[in-house]
Amino acid sequence: MSNTNGYRWHDPIHAPGGVGARIPKSDGAAKADGSGIFTDDLSFPRMLHAKLLRSPHAHARIRSIDTSKAEALPGVIATLIGSEMPARYGVIPWTHDEQALATDHVRFVGDEVACVAAVDERTAEAALRLIEVDYEVLPALLSPQDALAHPEIKVNERAKVGNITKHVSLSFGDVDGALSAATARSHHTYEYAGNTHAAIEPHCAVARADADGNLTVWSSTQIPHYVHRELSRVLGLAPARIRVIQPLLGGAFGGKSDPFSLEFCVAKLALKTGRPVKLLFTREEVFYSHRGRHPMTMDVQVALDADGRIAAVDNKILIDGGAYASFGLVTAYYSGQLLTGPYRFGSYRFDSTRVYTNKPPCGPKRGHGSVQPRFAFEVALDEAAAQLELDPIEVRRRNFIGENVDTVNGQRITSNGFLKCLELVESASGWKERHGRMGRGRGLGVAGSMYISGTAYPVYPNEMPQSGVLVKLDRSGRVAIFSGASDIGQGVNTLLCQIASEELGCDPRDVTVVASDTDLTPVDLGAYSSRVTFMTGTAAREACGKLRTQLKLAAADKLGCAADQVEIELGTIRSAADAAKNASFMQACQWAEAREGRPLAETGGYRTKDIGEGKLGGEYRGGTIGASPAYSFTAHIAEVEVDEETGLWRCTNVWAAHDCGKALNPTLVEGQIEGSVYMGVAEAQLEEMSYTASGQHRGPSLLDYRIPTSLDTPLIGASIVESGDPNGPYGAKEAGEGPLHAAIPAIANALFDACGIRVRELPFTPAKVLALIRARDEAQRGAAC
Amino acid sequence: MLTLPMLAVHQPKSVDEAVALLRDIPGARLLAGGTDIVPNLKYGMYETGNLVALRGISRELRYIREEESELRIGAMCSVDQLANHARVIELFPSLADAASQIAGPQLRRMGTVGGNLCLDTRCVYINQSHFWRSALGYCLKKDGTVCHVVKGGQRCVAAASNDTAPILVALGAMVRLVSPRGERIIPLDDFYIADGVKNTQLARDELLVEARIPLAAARLRQAYGKLRLRQAIDFPALNFGVTISVEEQKVAALRLCVGALAARPALVRHVDELRGRPVSTPEEIRALGQELGLRAQRQCKPLTNIGVDPEWRREILPVLVRRGVERALLS
Amino acid sequence: MNRGAGRPNHQRVSAPSQTQVLVTLHINGETQSVAVSSQATLLEALRDGLGLTGTKQGCDKGDCGACTVLARPLDENAARASGSSSRGEPILSCITLAQDAQGLALTTIEGLAGAQGLDSIQRAFADCGALQCGFCQPGMMLSARALLDSNPQPSLPQIQAALSGNLCRCTGYTKIYEAVQVAAGMRMPSHARPVRSEPAPGVDGPRVEVKEIAT
Ligand SMILES: Cc1cc2nc3c(=O)[nH]c(=O)nc-3n(C[C@H](O)[C@H](O)[C@H](O)COP(=O)(O)OP(=O)(O)OC[C@H]3O[C@@H](n4cnc5c(N)ncnc54)[C@H](O)[C@@H]3O)c2cc1C
Ligand code: SF4
Ligand code: FES
Ligand code: FES
Repeated sequence: MSNTNGYRWHDPIHAPGGVGARIPKSDGAAKADGSGIFTDDLSFPRMLHAKLLRSPHAHARIRSIDTSKAEALPGVIATLIGSEMPARYGVIPWTHDEQALATDHVRFVGDEVACVAAVDERTAEAALRLIEVDYEVLPALLSPQDALAHPEIKVNERAKVGNITKHVSLSFGDVDGALSAATARSHHTYEYAGNTHAAIEPHCAVARADADGNLTVWSSTQIPHYVHRELSRVLGLAPARIRVIQPLLGGAFGGKSDPFSLEFCVAKLALKTGRPVKLLFTREEVFYSHRGRHPMTMDVQVALDADGRIAAVDNKILIDGGAYASFGLVTAYYSGQLLTGPYRFGSYRFDSTRVYTNKPPCGPKRGHGSVQPRFAFEVALDEAAAQLELDPIEVRRRNFIGENVDTVNGQRITSNGFLKCLELVESASGWKERHGRMGRGRGLGVAGSMYISGTAYPVYPNEMPQSGVLVKLDRSGRVAIFSGASDIGQGVNTLLCQIASEELGCDPRDVTVVASDTDLTPVDLGAYSSRVTFMTGTAAREACGKLRTQLKLAAADKLGCAADQVEIELGTIRSAADAAKNASFMQACQWAEAREGRPLAETGGYRTKDIGEGKLGGEYRGGTIGASPAYSFTAHIAEVEVDEETGLWRCTNVWAAHDCGKALNPTLVEGQIEGSVYMGVAEAQLEEMSYTASGQHRGPSLLDYRIPTSLDTPLIGASIVESGDPNGPYGAKEAGEGPLHAAIPAIANALFDACGIRVRELPFTPAKVLALIRARDEAQRGAAC
Repeated sequence: MLTLPMLAVHQPKSVDEAVALLRDIPGARLLAGGTDIVPNLKYGMYETGNLVALRGISRELRYIREEESELRIGAMCSVDQLANHARVIELFPSLADAASQIAGPQLRRMGTVGGNLCLDTRCVYINQSHFWRSALGYCLKKDGTVCHVVKGGQRCVAAASNDTAPILVALGAMVRLVSPRGERIIPLDDFYIADGVKNTQLARDELLVEARIPLAAARLRQAYGKLRLRQAIDFPALNFGVTISVEEQKVAALRLCVGALAARPALVRHVDELRGRPVSTPEEIRALGQELGLRAQRQCKPLTNIGVDPEWRREILPVLVRRGVERALLS
Repeated sequence: MNRGAGRPNHQRVSAPSQTQVLVTLHINGETQSVAVSSQATLLEALRDGLGLTGTKQGCDKGDCGACTVLARPLDENAARASGSSSRGEPILSCITLAQDAQGLALTTIEGLAGAQGLDSIQRAFADCGALQCGFCQPGMMLSARALLDSNPQPSLPQIQAALSGNLCRCTGYTKIYEAVQVAAGMRMPSHARPVRSEPAPGVDGPRVEVKEIAT
């Protein structure tokens, strides 16, 4: 069959290039032709298939487990129960509160109880039904309010006080004074429903133990390093005996940033049986594994002075954590710490409590911890500004915090392109001509946001690099980069090729990236907290920079000029003084290899303490949580159409401008902005983790948990703003999470412009919108008589 | 992966052979496009070890033709064909509209008209994995003794969720059913029964071979309406077909059939009183629509069998019906 | 194969019998016979039986479109009668039984590229950044290919409609639309330039006092 019409590689748009070029992803072709290997695509001779038995109860004690009948089933090779690896683990060292399989206590419908390895999935599944578990059913606590009211019922023993995972209360300045002195105030309660990542690839892990006792685990994880550590602890096996490899990953968004039971189970079963073992979650199990957006109830006050400046912000937050902590300790902080830009706050207070409940555990979803308070705050800001008859864009502009400045909670903002973001979306959306004038049922809304670019410190305290890269060159002109960072679709491997090209002058297509393999690649902490481009990019730049020097020194000898007179450009290296004196990149590599008399390889690393002023964050307990070497900024304008008779509404357009510092690859940055906007709109529109009265997920499927199709997604206009961060590699910050936040409040504010209603509960279902419209009409009628 | 039960797939070469297989193999079920039965089998909803596949007799059953003043639609027509068929669009635009709103593009290519008309009823407590249902303690429709939708209910009220049924009922369609004992042709309205466990009167060894719509129905003013939260890959949260015969600018006859509320698509009753209503101006049409909508609202009771707020669905039903009437009469 | 075979079978539920059947499938222009269990889906036959792992599984029950393949009736007359385009129409392999797929000519993602390299759809998806994690994309690209086969110059609403059965969680669909238009020769890949922001002085706030409680 012919390759219908002749679209081919388009020069010069896609000419190979270094930093800032729009080159196609390094793994694009392998993803395009179906040859790329994801975890579930792996199979090995004699491989077994494992399945998990899960708790049918939201809360119960396990009195006994009998697997003998399952073991007797032909085709079953091994079973596994919790007492075989009882050690507790968790991604954060202070909250080790999970077990691979429950030994005595199950905490939600779907909690893992036992595992079977059999010759195929059907047999394993049949065997699960033969496992007999004797449960003592306990009362289940399904809401955070209930969990607080019943400290005597312990959802999770790790909680020191009642069912509280973490309580944080921080206050900066005289909040009460500012509140009472303010001219305009908004004070309301907001409800953010939980929702989940729903990456299209379900979690999968494969393990193989070799005859020497070395264990290899392939997993669809975004944190190979933490999986490595926790496997070692739980299995009691030296880390040197364990290798974790992350194959291509089919989406993550934070949903694959905890160690999961499946990794421990395949590992243990592989050790037990001596055969390779695979475990692939069903879609339903992905919902039980969750770690998605925390439901939050937020009591928010925003107060403005007569000039419209933010005098005080006060937020009391109750966080529904589900059965385990996951990153919850951080969530409790992030829900407060990340709100203090892009605007200057006169004073600020938050009080945040994360509690355990008998539901699937929440965790970090794209924009971890800060999406919920951002929604509430941006709506409240709009409302308070309206009291002063201030234009929503104007109030945001007026409160802009600026660059090279400390926030009220002591975080250092370096670069800040927020004003440019606002300006771009204002003109792209036609705000000036259209806002407030679009007639009944149509409206525009604006919101801004900021997000971290990496955390100041690793989740377990240590002085080692947070990110590491090893780069090797040789006489063939091929470059190999060994990087521990996880490419989860965001394209970090491509950025590494571009950084190599920028520094060394090689064609980015001549770079091999060996990634996320704990045996082969330097440690990187994983793809979370928007740290990858910033940290891995810095490490790669350092390593490539060292090699660049070697190339230059060698070329200087051969070209007969000083090393600082050597210029490197794509494909060639030459004397600045005399362009006729030049050599190919490959030739330069050979010269350098000869000059050095050893293989050409260098490493680079990233540690927050080595950059900028070294120490980040406020001088108080928790002051480093939320402190980041740089912050990204975003402004969105959303357009909505509302059917006032039914409450059905649609977001038709979102204009999003995002300050990512520097777009190392604009195509990839736009992709991150568009994907973030989509996901934010989805949260506003459709998505909710909803449970029955007995704590069962109401619809753990992609049919019932509706994620948007192409027909439900607005047209998205993404613009990139570059503020050039002093600390980021080439000025880069982040783009993967920040641009999600503003979509939700922008839509809420657009609904106000369209219908004069304030939605304060997520998702904005048509039923809720219609109820608000009815209440508005009621109030207007009341006012009329 | 979701595991399917052990299955034998039989591949008859004719309708007669197919129904003979149904007769001879206890518990055998038909497999058409498989878009309903396969997911349901994966969820352990049926005890069957045998499927009788109809793909092999597609040619016999894949047609849309005009015959004896009827439009006849073979059971193995895909819903995509129905949605895009020039004559269907011309004669029964509401039907094409209904078909075009089913599921998503791939499912419309796979799903058949026969399968759509014989679609199993749906409920948030039944279209779940075996594990999920076991955790809840099962229900009347399969393996259990209680209904989670109607507390104390003795009858399953899982919702008829097919998109073509309400409009075909409103158009007065008939279905031709064939069994080893012969054939029968019955109104589609009589085909359905109000029992969520099995909502058709199809015998165990019977096959629906075609739907027939009187060509005379092409004169009816008609519209289809579907409520869904997602614009594709979403079953109806509410759907309806409305047909109105207009004579001398007055309503001569009217039918409104509502789906996704109860175990069968239901004709709204007492609409004869609306005969003679004038419909020559937009205001009159609106008034008629409102009236009809209120009747529908009084007679219909959305339940929690579908995961979309029943109160809200009840509230907006009259609006949707009114708009349907307006679409039918103003276009 | 069953290590446990021969053990006393002392429970009511026995191992699900694994009746194997030989199915003949017509894939990417080749006819192949493969032994699968009688209830195997086409997706299992492709991935496990034939090693065609390019076809992905995201839900295994018809909800997501990741397992999309193209199909047309094998018999040419039937193909013409149903108006199928050259490679056929997108169907879901996870809810198609392997046994029931024997009368179909199938194209999987592995069959899209030819001797001259990637198909224009694949090239455009890679160039435009339409591939992020790539997991939804084999299915997405096949749906897009089927669209262009039957409608070489689709409008945006037509593209949106044709792809509405393929869920993507990464891209927000934006670059996918672009890639389809690029493949159709209707536009060039986007090349907007980032905008530089001006330096902005910081607004210093009042020195504030910190109070903290944490449990
Ligand atoms: C994600 C998803 C979304 C969906 N959304 C919708 C939707 O919005 N609207 C909608 O209407 N449907 C929807 N469906 C259901 C389905 O795709 C369609 O209804 C389709 O038309 C069913 O036809 P089929 O041929 O695939 O049926 P099958 O699954 O093959 O059969 C369905 C039932 O009918 C029986 N049957 C099939 N053919 C005959 C016959 N000729 N005579 C007697 N009995 C027969 C079968 O034994 C089976 O019990 C959806 C399905 C999925 C998976
Ligand atoms: S209506 Fe009641 S009996 Fe029927 S499926 Fe739903 S819960 Fe079960
Ligand atoms: S895997 Fe989701 S539709 Fe087939
Ligand atoms: S690219 Fe990741 S799901 Fe589509």
